[in-house]
Amino acid sequence: MMITQEQPKPVLQISRVSKTFPGSCDPAVNDFSLDVEEGEIVALLGESGCGKTTMLRMIAGFETPGSGSIRIHGRLVAGDRVFVEPERRGVGIVFQDYALFPHKTVTENIRFGLFRYPHREQKAKTAEIIRLTGLAGLGKRYPHQLSGGQKQRVALARALAPEPRLILLDEPFSNLDSLKKAQMREEIASIIKKTKSTGIFVTHDTKDVLAIADKVAIMKNGIILQTGTPDKLYNYPVNQYVARFFGKTNVLHAEVTADGFQTPVGLIRANGYRLPLGQKVLLSVRPEQFEVSGCHENCLPATVTRENFLGEYKELACRIENESGKELDILVHAPPGQICDDQRCHIRHKGDVPPSVLND
Amino acid sequence: MPLHKFNFGSFRRYTGNRWVIWTIVLSLMVALPLITIAAEMFSRGDAVWHHILHELVPSYATNTLWLLFGVGMLTITLGVGAAWLVSMFQFPGRNIFRWALIMPIAIPAYINGFTWAGMLDYTSPLYTFLRNQFGIDTGTYLFFDIMSLPGAIFILSISFYPYVYLITRAYFQTQSANLFEISASLGYGPWRTFFRTALPLARPAIVAGVSLALMEVLNDYGVASYYGVDTFTTGIFTAWFAFGDTSAALKLSGYLMVFVFVLIFAERTQRGQMRYSAQGIRKHGLTPKRLSGTGGILAGIFCSLPLLAGFILPAIMLIWWSTQTFSLIVDAGFWSLLRNSFFLAGTASLVVVAAAILLAYTVRAYSGRFVKILARITTLGYAIPGAVVAVGVLIPFLWLDNRLIQLPWVNTLLITGTWLALIYAYLVRFMAVGYNSIDSGMEKIPESLDEAARSLGMTHGKVLRKVNLPLLTGATLSAFLLTFIDVLKELPLTLILRPFNFDTLAIRAFEFATDERVAEAAPYALVIVLTGMVPVLLLNKYIGGETS
Repeated sequence: MMITQEQPKPVLQISRVSKTFPGSCDPAVNDFSLDVEEGEIVALLGESGCGKTTMLRMIAGFETPGSGSIRIHGRLVAGDRVFVEPERRGVGIVFQDYALFPHKTVTENIRFGLFRYPHREQKAKTAEIIRLTGLAGLGKRYPHQLSGGQKQRVALARALAPEPRLILLDEPFSNLDSLKKAQMREEIASIIKKTKSTGIFVTHDTKDVLAIADKVAIMKNGIILQTGTPDKLYNYPVNQYVARFFGKTNVLHAEVTADGFQTPVGLIRANGYRLPLGQKVLLSVRPEQFEVSGCHENCLPATVTRENFLGEYKELACRIENESGKELDILVHAPPGQICDDQRCHIRHKGDVPPSVLND
Repeated sequence: MPLHKFNFGSFRRYTGNRWVIWTIVLSLMVALPLITIAAEMFSRGDAVWHHILHELVPSYATNTLWLLFGVGMLTITLGVGAAWLVSMFQFPGRNIFRWALIMPIAIPAYINGFTWAGMLDYTSPLYTFLRNQFGIDTGTYLFFDIMSLPGAIFILSISFYPYVYLITRAYFQTQSANLFEISASLGYGPWRTFFRTALPLARPAIVAGVSLALMEVLNDYGVASYYGVDTFTTGIFTAWFAFGDTSAALKLSGYLMVFVFVLIFAERTQRGQMRYSAQGIRKHGLTPKRLSGTGGILAGIFCSLPLLAGFILPAIMLIWWSTQTFSLIVDAGFWSLLRNSFFLAGTASLVVVAAAILLAYTVRAYSGRFVKILARITTLGYAIPGAVVAVGVLIPFLWLDNRLIQLPWVNTLLITGTWLALIYAYLVRFMAVGYNSIDSGMEKIPESLDEAARSLGMTHGKVLRKVNLPLLTGATLSAFLLTFIDVLKELPLTLILRPFNFDTLAIRAFEFATDERVAEAAPYALVIVLTGMVPVLLLNKYIGGETS
């Protein structure tokens, strides 16, 4: 039975969970299902009010699901008239405001959850986690004497100290300034990986997701729109909302042909879509999937109407006319040095990432 | 899957939980006197009741209404006027008036009552002085007969106007100065601004303050009884002690509760509709305008009158009398009475604080509508007059005692006339005092702290002990202190429920005063006033900090 042992086991199984708060008509979370494998870092992504925090709180045991079930390591913790109190779930949590106990030092905060262990073990575990989270020397400080990043690490250390099966992070990076943010992302991801924990974090920032998540579930109005790896969601969004959530994109009306898609910018070659010929579809093509070149013969001429210098590249808005004569702006990324003569150019699809067919 | 989980699961989370069960018990305890009164109110009643109903209730009703009306008007005039002056203007003494105007809260109304009566009495040092030096002679009483309905209105107003002052002033403080500046820029003078802008704006605050003051009027026994104004509260005493009629006492309590509920209802509807908040436009606080010359002097006089009447004069008289009777009164008996009184207040406050912590944490941990309703019920007692609580507690206890005494091993009344009944009644009456303090302390602790502790494996009990309580020391202390003072100065409830031959400072002071021995009452009263000044001074420290 070597094979089954090597397969990752689901640490968390959420099955068809819904939750409607009293006094509200619309469910905060609607028919939510997700499996989280051991060692994964999973992001719940969405705008505020999309239900991601409610879902996180249901996993932790601070809210009760209206229907559906939640299993942690195979054990039913919520649903089917079972409710396991949060203190019996073995789930660590890091709050947005860090929720450090202001009357306790860093060491005392970290030891707080170790009360079931003998004294010696408490000390050893605390020392270990302090080392691992880079908090050495700060043990005697009180939370108000720490910087934002340090507080964050203490909160993480405190949650990890009792070796939970699962660690939940609620908007972990939103209180940090942007310079600190990038550094903390890497650090936290590496600590979670080092301690072989499984992490779920809630965020509204796609940069967090792209940087550290192994898997993402993007939510809107309580519903999961799409689940997958960050690059899958980035390159193959299922609808305009997901596509736009991850950054600017071109949404194009297209028709399925034998070679690919006929679009206002010309034919985009692609295959393997299994769509009937002649079907009208909506495509999402990221600006970096287009390139511009000088206009040669039988090309579709485009006029550059706007240039935005963005550092590593510049973003061009290229105006074209579609068949019905309507003007259409296409966003294209071009190398910062590229110059288009007469502001006229030709838009070409690079072809290394096939376009994504949207379902709306 | 263990069977018990299937059966209890989420159901247990709310109803089977011992936190919620204790909260239900607490709210039932508070509801008991009300249920007793409600049950008796609609019974037919006996001959005594019919006598009371026809001969006495009409005058109880008119007197109570006059008191409510008069005190309402006077507290609004004094409280709102003073609040407006100290918020808007800079005049001589303003910085002292700002905090000193709440000092009368430290003197219970009944102490103000007998002090003023003693002060204007024919033999009072003031009257004697004026008579001998200036030949002023206005009959038995200096100026006017204070032992009357208008006198009672005056005493209750100078005792309770700080409620209106405090809330209204806090309200003016949070308003944007822009509102008043706009009013000025539209050509409104200070008087028009006051009547057209400030008064309507502050209405929710004024209503809240006045209803607190009127609640105290309905609770009052000492002033009405001392001044011979028959109200429902004194009527309860008459029915109880003079007629020995428990049913009539309950019925009168019921009538009094009707007033209370009308008051609560009026306040709720007033505030519910009018929740003016100007948060969005708050730019900067009020900059007081300088009042000089006559205006400044008039403002100073307006503010000094209630302060003089409600605090300074009575305090001077109490100190004066105390020096006269010190050697006579302060003996071993005095100290043992002091100890008794403090010990009773301390015990009651501990019980109240413990119950308040339990209730506040349950509301925090199980924030359902059901628990919130329970909390509402449990804190209702503060609206119930002391005499009503006492009667409502005593009657079920008497009934229970009469059952218990039939048991072979019981040979005395176990509950009635003991500290147990007294402390129970204090719990009912003062639960809200402790709860409000604890609750506002808890609100400052982020709930994520509790949740973090729970996810680290702690049960509710542990979370409360290890996280909340250490962070609540200030709130717990102030809850204890406020309850302690309220118990210490409580009069009607203690008079009805006290154990035989058991006296408190408040009762001894009141009894001496009733025997026309005001000078001997003074040392007892002075202890109550001095203790009562502790939270007032702490409150003032807070007010001072608020502006700096």
